[in-house]
Amino acid sequence: MSAAAAASPAAPLLRVRGLVRQFGGVQAVRGVDLDVAAGERRAILGPNGAGKSTLFNLVAGDLPPTAGTIELFGRDVTAVPVRRRVRLGLGRTYQTSRVLRGLTVEENLYLAVLGAQRGHLRPVRTGADRARRERARAVAERVGLGERVDTVAASLSHGEQRQLEVGLALAPEPRLLMLDEPAAGLSRAERVVLTRMLLELDPQVTLIIIEHDMDVALTVAERVTMLHQGQLLLEGTPAEIRASELVHELYLGRGHGGG
Amino acid sequence: MSVRGARRAPAGLLVGAGVVAALALVPLVFSTYFTGAVASRALYVGLAAASLAFLAGYGGMVSLAQTALYGIAGFVMARLIVQSGLDPVPAALVAIAVAVAFGVLFGAISSGSEGIYLLMITLALGVITYFFFSQVTAFGGHEGINAVRTPSFVGDPVRDPQPIYYLSLACSVGAYVLIRYLGGTAFGLALQGVRDDPVRMRALGYNVRLHRTLGFAAGALLAALAGVLGTWHETRISPGTIDVSQTIQLLTIAVIGGLYRIEGAWIGALLYTLLDTYARGLTGRFETWIGLILLAILVVSPDGITGLAGSVRDRVRGRRARAAPGEHPSESLSRPAPLDPTQVTR
Repeated sequence: MSAAAAASPAAPLLRVRGLVRQFGGVQAVRGVDLDVAAGERRAILGPNGAGKSTLFNLVAGDLPPTAGTIELFGRDVTAVPVRRRVRLGLGRTYQTSRVLRGLTVEENLYLAVLGAQRGHLRPVRTGADRARRERARAVAERVGLGERVDTVAASLSHGEQRQLEVGLALAPEPRLLMLDEPAAGLSRAERVVLTRMLLELDPQVTLIIIEHDMDVALTVAERVTMLHQGQLLLEGTPAEIRASELVHELYLGRGHGGG
Repeated sequence: MSVRGARRAPAGLLVGAGVVAALALVPLVFSTYFTGAVASRALYVGLAAASLAFLAGYGGMVSLAQTALYGIAGFVMARLIVQSGLDPVPAALVAIAVAVAFGVLFGAISSGSEGIYLLMITLALGVITYFFFSQVTAFGGHEGINAVRTPSFVGDPVRDPQPIYYLSLACSVGAYVLIRYLGGTAFGLALQGVRDDPVRMRALGYNVRLHRTLGFAAGALLAALAGVLGTWHETRISPGTIDVSQTIQLLTIAVIGGLYRIEGAWIGALLYTLLDTYARGLTGRFETWIGLILLAILVVSPDGITGLAGSVRDRVRGRRARAAPGEHPSESLSRPAPLDPTQVTR
C-alpha cells in the first residue's frame, strides 16, 4: 500500500476524464473530470439527480460509461470488471443497504474479507478461514456490531444494516473507500458514531463520500466536489463550499438540515 | 461455522445419529416390499430432491434440470453396462462424471439468469434432455434400456432390496453431511452470498457466474448419484423417468418437504412415496389428492413440512406481529414466500 503510494506521489489515486453516462435520452453524468489524491478525504455533494450515485457506479464498475476514461491507482480500469477493481483495492457501499440477508454479521464480513483474497472456490475449511473470521469480528467491533456477530443480517435494524454496509466496504482494507450516503436514515446518535469512525480511518486510506447530511460530509471531507445536473459545478475546501453563494442557492438553502 | 453453530452442534449430531440409527433398522422392522418399494425409493428420490433443495437453498436457483441430470447419469451408465459390457461400478463413475460435466454446461448456460427466467431455461434444458433420450436409439429410444446389471454388492434389488437400501442410505447421509459441511466453507458461504445479493457479491470481488456454475456442478453430482441408485434399484431406465411430469413431481417433493431445508427433501420424498404406493390403491383420483395435500401444506406453511413448526408459531403470534410490524420483524410475514431463500438450512 505505502510502496505504491510512494512510487508515484504526484499521480492521483483516481483520475476521471470526460466521463459520460447516458440512460436513454437522459445524460446522468455529462463530461465529468475528477482527480482524487492518495489519502485524500473527498465529499461529493449535489442535489438529487445531480449524478452522484451514477458517478459512483461508473468508478466502481457497476455501470459501463458511455464515454470517458477512469484510472485507478495509476491504471486505466475503464473496461476492467467490478471484481478486478476490488482486487486492486476499491471498496464501496450502496445508497440502500445491500447486506447478505440470510447470513450472519460475521459471515457477511468474512465474505467481505475473503472477497479481496484468493480461495473463493475452496470447498474445505482451512486455517486461513479462522484468521478471516477473526478479522471479521474485529471489523464488526469497529463498526459497532461487536455484540451482533451471530445475528442474521435480515434481523438487524436499519441503522445496524447501515453499519454492516460500511463494515463490508472496510473489511477488505481497501485503498480507496467509496461511501454512498452512509448516514442515510441514521439517528442523530448513530451519525455521531459514524462520523467519529470516519475521522479515525487509517490516514492512508482514500475516502470518497456522497452525503446529504452536510454535518457528516463537511466534518469528514478535506475537499468537496459539487455536482449539478451531471456536471462539475465547483470544487473547494469545506469552508469555501459553505461560503459559496452559488452552492447556497442551489443546495444548502433548500436541503440543509432537513435533507 | 459460527460460535452459535458450534454450540448447537452436539445436540444436532445426537439427533442426526438417532435418525440414522432408526433408518438403519428399517429393513429389519419392515417388510421386504416396504424396504424396496417405499424406503429405498424415498431415499434416492430424496437425494434427487436434495440436489434441487441445495441449489434453491444455498444458491437461490430453483432448477428444473435436476431430473435431466438424473437421467443423463442413469442412461449413460445403463448404456455402458448393457451395450458396452462395462462393469457397473466403473460405468457409474463415468456416468456421474458425464452428468457433472453437463451440470457445468447447464450452469454456464443458466448462471446469467435469475428467478422465473432461470426456471424457464432449466425447464427447457430438461425438456431437450428428455427428447434426446426418447428419440436417440443408441439409448434405447422410447423403450429405454432394460436389464441393467447391478454391482455384486447390490445383487438383485427386487428379490433382496436390503443392499440397495443401505447403499442409498449411505449415499443420502453422505450427501447431507457434505452439503451441511460445504455450507460453512469459503465456497458454500460465497454461494449463499450470491443467493442473497449477487450485486453486492460482485462488488466484494466475487465471480458470480462462476460461483453459480460450480453450484450447479455440485447439484449435478447429487442428482447423478440419485440417477445411478435409481437405475440400479429399477434395473432399468426409460425416458418416462425424466419427462416433464417427473420434473414437476421432483419440484413438488422438494416444496412439500421445505424447499430451503435439505432434510426436507427426504421427508417430502417419503411422504410422496408413501402416498404413491398406498393411496393409489385407495382412490382413482390419486393426482387430485396429491394436489390437494400439496395445496394444504403450502397454505399452512410456505416452507413445507420442515417449516411447519415455525409457521404455526408465527400464526399463533400473528395478530401481535401484524399489530406492530415495525417492532416485530417476523420474517415469514415480510417475506415473499416461497421463493425467498433466506431461511436456508444453516
